[in-house]
Amino acid sequence: MAAPASDTLLQQFTGRKTRGVLRFVILGLIAGAAVSSRLFSVIRFESIIHEFDPWFNFRATKYLVQNGFYSFWDWFDDRTWHPLGRVTGGTLYPGLMVTSGVIYHALRALTLPVDIRNICVLLAPGFSGLTAFATYLLTSEMVASPSAGLLAAAFMGITPGYISRSVAGSYDNEAIAIFLLVFTFFLWIKAVKNGSMFWGALTALFYGYMVSAWGGYVFITNLLPLHAFVLICMGRYSPRLYVSYTSWYALGTLASMQIPFVGFLPIRSSEHMSSLGVFGLIQIVGFVEYVRVQLPNKQFQTLLRALVFVIFVVAFGGLVVLTVSGTIAPWSGRFYSLWDTAYAKIHIPIIASVSEHQPTAWPAFFFDLSMMIWLFPAGVYMCFRSLTDEQVFIVIYSVLASYFAGVMVRLMLTLTPIVCVASAMAFSQILDTYLDAKIPEQGAKENGSSDPAKVAAAVLPDGLRSTRNPLVGIYSYASRLTVIGASTVYLMLFVLHCTWVTSNAYSSPSVVLASRLPDGSQHIIDDYREAYYWLRQNTPDNAKVMSWWDYGYQIGGMADRPTLVDNNTWNNTHIATVGKAMSSREEVSYPIMRQHEVDYVLVVFGGLLGYSGDDINKFLWMVRIAEGIWPEEVKERNFFTQRGEYRVDEEATPTMKNSLMYKMSYYNYNSLFPAGQATDRVRGVRLPAEGPQLSTIEEAFTSENWIIRIYKVKEPDNFGRDHQSATAFDKGHKKKRASKRKGPRVLRVE
Amino acid sequence: MRWLQLLTVSVLPLVALAAKKPSGDRFSDFRSKSLSSGNLKLDDNVYTQLTKAPRDYSVVVLLTALETRFGCTLCREFQPEWDLLSKSWQKGDKKAESRLLFGTLDFVDGKSTFQSLMLQTAPVILFFHPTVGPDAKVDAQPVRFDFTAGPQSAEQIHAWVARQLPASSPKPSVVRPINYVKIISVTTAVLGLITFVTVASPYIVPVLQNRNLWAAFSLIGVLLFTSGHMFNHIRKVPYVSGDGKGGISYFAGGFSNQFGLESQIVAAIYGVLSFATISLALKVPRIADARAQQIAVFIWSGVLLCMYSFLLSVFRIKNGGYQFWLPPF
Amino acid sequence: MRSFSSLLSCIAVLSSFAAAELNLSQPLLSKQVLASTFKPPQVFKNVNLVRTTNLDKGFPRETINVIIENVDAKPQSEYYLPFESSLISRVGGLEVKDKKSPEKGALRVEVVGFDTASSTEFYLIHLPTPLAPKEQQTLSISYSVLSALKPVPAQISQADKQYVQYTFSVYTPSAYLTEKQKTKVKFPSADVPDYTTVSAELNAEKKADPQKQGSTFSYGPYDNVPAGAEELVSVRYEFTKPIAHASLLERDIEVSHWGGNLATEERYWLSNLGASLKNHFSRVEWQKQSYMNPPTTALKALNVPLAAGALNPYFTDDIGNVSTSRFRTGKRESNLELKPRYPIFGGWKYSFRVGWDADLNTYLRKLSTGESYVLKVPFLEGPKSPEGIQYERIHLRVILPEGATNVKYSTSVPIVDSHTDIHKTFMDTIGRSSLTLTAINLVDDFRDRDLIVTYDYPWTAGFRKPIVITLGAFVVFTAAWVVGNLDTSIGKKKVA
Repeated sequence: MAAPASDTLLQQFTGRKTRGVLRFVILGLIAGAAVSSRLFSVIRFESIIHEFDPWFNFRATKYLVQNGFYSFWDWFDDRTWHPLGRVTGGTLYPGLMVTSGVIYHALRALTLPVDIRNICVLLAPGFSGLTAFATYLLTSEMVASPSAGLLAAAFMGITPGYISRSVAGSYDNEAIAIFLLVFTFFLWIKAVKNGSMFWGALTALFYGYMVSAWGGYVFITNLLPLHAFVLICMGRYSPRLYVSYTSWYALGTLASMQIPFVGFLPIRSSEHMSSLGVFGLIQIVGFVEYVRVQLPNKQFQTLLRALVFVIFVVAFGGLVVLTVSGTIAPWSGRFYSLWDTAYAKIHIPIIASVSEHQPTAWPAFFFDLSMMIWLFPAGVYMCFRSLTDEQVFIVIYSVLASYFAGVMVRLMLTLTPIVCVASAMAFSQILDTYLDAKIPEQGAKENGSSDPAKVAAAVLPDGLRSTRNPLVGIYSYASRLTVIGASTVYLMLFVLHCTWVTSNAYSSPSVVLASRLPDGSQHIIDDYREAYYWLRQNTPDNAKVMSWWDYGYQIGGMADRPTLVDNNTWNNTHIATVGKAMSSREEVSYPIMRQHEVDYVLVVFGGLLGYSGDDINKFLWMVRIAEGIWPEEVKERNFFTQRGEYRVDEEATPTMKNSLMYKMSYYNYNSLFPAGQATDRVRGVRLPAEGPQLSTIEEAFTSENWIIRIYKVKEPDNFGRDHQSATAFDKGHKKKRASKRKGPRVLRVE
Repeated sequence: MRWLQLLTVSVLPLVALAAKKPSGDRFSDFRSKSLSSGNLKLDDNVYTQLTKAPRDYSVVVLLTALETRFGCTLCREFQPEWDLLSKSWQKGDKKAESRLLFGTLDFVDGKSTFQSLMLQTAPVILFFHPTVGPDAKVDAQPVRFDFTAGPQSAEQIHAWVARQLPASSPKPSVVRPINYVKIISVTTAVLGLITFVTVASPYIVPVLQNRNLWAAFSLIGVLLFTSGHMFNHIRKVPYVSGDGKGGISYFAGGFSNQFGLESQIVAAIYGVLSFATISLALKVPRIADARAQQIAVFIWSGVLLCMYSFLLSVFRIKNGGYQFWLPPF
Repeated sequence: MRSFSSLLSCIAVLSSFAAAELNLSQPLLSKQVLASTFKPPQVFKNVNLVRTTNLDKGFPRETINVIIENVDAKPQSEYYLPFESSLISRVGGLEVKDKKSPEKGALRVEVVGFDTASSTEFYLIHLPTPLAPKEQQTLSISYSVLSALKPVPAQISQADKQYVQYTFSVYTPSAYLTEKQKTKVKFPSADVPDYTTVSAELNAEKKADPQKQGSTFSYGPYDNVPAGAEELVSVRYEFTKPIAHASLLERDIEVSHWGGNLATEERYWLSNLGASLKNHFSRVEWQKQSYMNPPTTALKALNVPLAAGALNPYFTDDIGNVSTSRFRTGKRESNLELKPRYPIFGGWKYSFRVGWDADLNTYLRKLSTGESYVLKVPFLEGPKSPEGIQYERIHLRVILPEGATNVKYSTSVPIVDSHTDIHKTFMDTIGRSSLTLTAINLVDDFRDRDLIVTYDYPWTAGFRKPIVITLGAFVVFTAAWVVGNLDTSIGKKKVA
């Protein structure tokens, strides 16, 4: 945080070269801090890909690196969504993979043998450094004070709101997208200020990159037009705006249409219509302005204005009509649920089921932004002081982004950059004021400073008129010390907060769990990889694994086996099928699994360890999603007891007890405990004395802490019996030996 | 003698008629009853009448508790939807080909029925399949619909009912009556607004171009959203709730939930904090008088410190593990 | 150095041999192809032969002590040892010593055989000094047979004992008349449920055959067994241990003069040849029996003793670090205890990699001649366990620093292929010369054999990289400067 201090010390220095160098050094340090604060997980655990989606990106990147760009472009992946398969090349945002692919090949060209995994793991931290730099540029465009930029860069570097998605190993689209977002905005501002086609084109270029990288590009697609529109409404239309906007829109749209996944959306879907509309509007306005300059006739101008208005209305109506008639696709579900917040809950349970699509409570804001959350409004307010074009941009961005962030937790990410910029502006304002060395002479002393009214008036600021009376400066060192001291403390606190949050909340790669042993030493729980590696090594290469969609990507990435459904939830029915298989009786599930050629079923069970993110806790979503497709066969109601409780113990409903998921989770579990003592440590309940019996599937592998349990789907019985009777028969024979070997074991009584 | 025979002969059909009259087709007369208001208003014995086997028609009964003293908001919310559904169904198949009846049994008229069904909750919808006839079901047990997923729209119930009926029978869709009043009022309002704007533009435009106004708006917006207002809106959290000991707890326990009042308090804190910042940054350096400036600096710094420390203390309530704090709180 | 020359000859032969390219299915041997009419000349006879078959490891180890006598008129130096061609591809580490003077080291041995149609192939043993007529000499021939143990029954349940079966000829295969011979079979335990009995007539002392003393059986003695006689017997004994078998071991040794570091990385493709599980793996059972740990067929842990001074080791597999490993450093040797992610039962596989660093000075010596160095590293390290581990194929690659020339090597391990090529890494310009050696059918008894590599490394070569990097950086800066001075503005308007 030495940035502002040292930078204002530079007031004494002369020669911008020294300053430039110093600024460069500071930025370097900031980037260093940004990168290093994201390495907690690598240091604590290892260089490993985190969570779920990153595993797909990682897999795709490996595919790209091995098979080259073109085969990646039209990659049909038959190892996911079995038996449908997925046109992966056409349904992903390739920006991330291509980026790391390029880096990989560049390093190879230098004959640096870097593992692609390490590139993927460290990509996000690396780009966070760039993001800090981009933030610096953006902020420097906003205000004159150079310290603001550096401060903003520092904020951006370490704020948890951004770290949450960019720690080492979280190899997700956001890793590079945020840098692109900020940098595109910077270029846009630059373009609007200079009105140069060059900057406009650059904006379009990076916009294209952004489109290729993240679905969130829609945010830019709507924010820039909004900015332009507001400027026009404020009567600030200028050729600069015209040049920058048109060059951006024309080139940017073309660029975005090069991505197969986006294709013709820019002219077909409502999300993009605003930019198109503003494009049209700006043409008209431009024309009108031109004519107005040519013939300055009052009535004629009003006529023209009317003309503009009419055309605008007509065009808008046209858009509406096209949307209704279906030529233009209506809002996509995810996007629509931003406005109609109840939409997803009713219509798209899959979207609602994802935790990061929940609304944000205020602690989350403070958690991610700390002090900046209250510096932010101040910064926004200061933008109103001299409302230049770029500051208008800040205002719009702030309001919109804070709305989105409020609706969806994950969109906190888009809010963070502007928060950093705005609060840096506010904070640097303070620092610049109170670190200013020169003391104003007491000119205004004699005109009765002592009368209390003035003092009172001084204490209460009033709106923007606060900037009316002339800037004087700070008289006493006492006040300087107070404010600077306080700010330093706040900054320190901010750094502490960020570090604490990062290390505690955002640095665990949910693939590997860490627990503390009684003696305080760290113990690593590696069940996921244990089971996945077992699958990878000891099952046939094309064994189909059925699991809930959360684990699809991990199975694809780590176990390298075909899956039925995965985190790319493009086919609701297929997911519902799996949900149905999980939530219905064995007799129902078995045909489903056979039809889908399932060889192994994988469930996550936290009961032994008290690991709460397991499948029983996600079970209701499976039921709901299945019920959405088969309302008659799967009923959520039947999984609740009469009193409407969701239970797994003795009182659990028969439907619950007979569901495949329940059986697979608790199969053989109570033989770990003395009879009748089996307890589920997540739900914290005593389990029924008699464990569930399985007939159509058999336990194939269970990880060390029982977190992952893998079951093999039996082949049809040789004698053509159904599996129930077959198992019953076998048990009848095994009785003696079984009881001898395994001590007390409850046998099913037919 | 003869005429007597004649008489009997002539009377017999009448008798038959007379005998026939009361025991007419249950479906048709129930339907004729229900024609007036779409669905039948039931009480205990009508309910038993309606649903007793043998039945060659199907019945949908809504068991509800409309009176305010039961405090069943869900019932009252759902009632109009229900009426709409039954009405539009009746309109839909005039000739009653679906052989489906709608009935509503309020708790006050049907206590014993509620008890016999052992219902603790309302509303509940029961669907009785016909017990005789082509599409009869073997189990006489009615299909039950619980409102577990909260309030339902007529369309959703319609879909559910349609699923119960055999594929052959007609399923007239729900037609919502066009609300002319609303349309007219809206259009007039819009037109009025436009005229007002055009007339009053000289007075409004300066207001619209007033920075302070816009600044206020955007700041309020930002403060609202960043203090989790959307969360309240979506999750419909209670405004405030009492703690066990009769007092009011302003702050909900747990990191990811909050009360309405809580978020407003937080918004206020943010507001004060940023206000202090603004005045420190912009206002104070413009104070010509040294002493006044001194005082202002101290006051605002003090406010800043206290508020921030208070905010931290509140956050410590929400997040147990949080360890940072500032004096005085 | 003799073995070295012999190796060179092998290589010379090999280079002419067509099937030089390696593939795992067909183990490659260096062999001379003889006419199919070839019959070893009957110039020797085995006066007395004692064979000891040691079965306490996961692979049988044969030791043949034979007194041979020259029955020919002229001195003879070529002794032939026949094998089934199916067997010879699994025979590993065959070594012949002169019993009288073992300190002379191993005799020169090479594989000869008929063209592919033949069923018998020979090891040709070159006696150091031709044996004069009527002279006798005692040879001790030792080798081990890989993947020769067959679990019977092939499927057992998790807690059961494992029984394996070994089939061999009770007459030691020989190309010459054997006057007197017997075979000792050493079992790991006395639990030998089934074994073939040979009829007493064949036995010289007309005793019941075999004779048992505790865990040792002895077949024979037999008199005057003609050349090439064969009598298959098979024994089935308890062996409740994992049969670890590495289908491939890749071993890289990287020398860095700048870092003064010797980096070793080993990649294993491991599998357990034991009896597979009848039912699936049951964690409950496993946890229950883990308290009192009974002998099991599952491979629970691997113990890799490393030389003293081994630094920062790692144990990873395809999906990252395996957290369950421990490393103990000691004065004389440090020990790396690897625990696979899951217990490896019969039929299960586990592939992984381990690596570590070491101080170069303990392995490298600079010769007085100036620019040439001598590197002495163990040919084979890796896990050490009582039940042993067998390697079907080993690729050892020694990566020397950039600019090393004139690479020579010598080792006492039988090598089937060797070549040097270029390996580019870490900003090399011309690449480093790397020596690749291939050996097959080794067992962990070869752990203590050394590999000695000599090469020349001029001191100037050390400075190539710094210079290259400096130049590169300079070029980059210039380019940046040039680009920075470009003016992209259109027309007279100057961009701020």
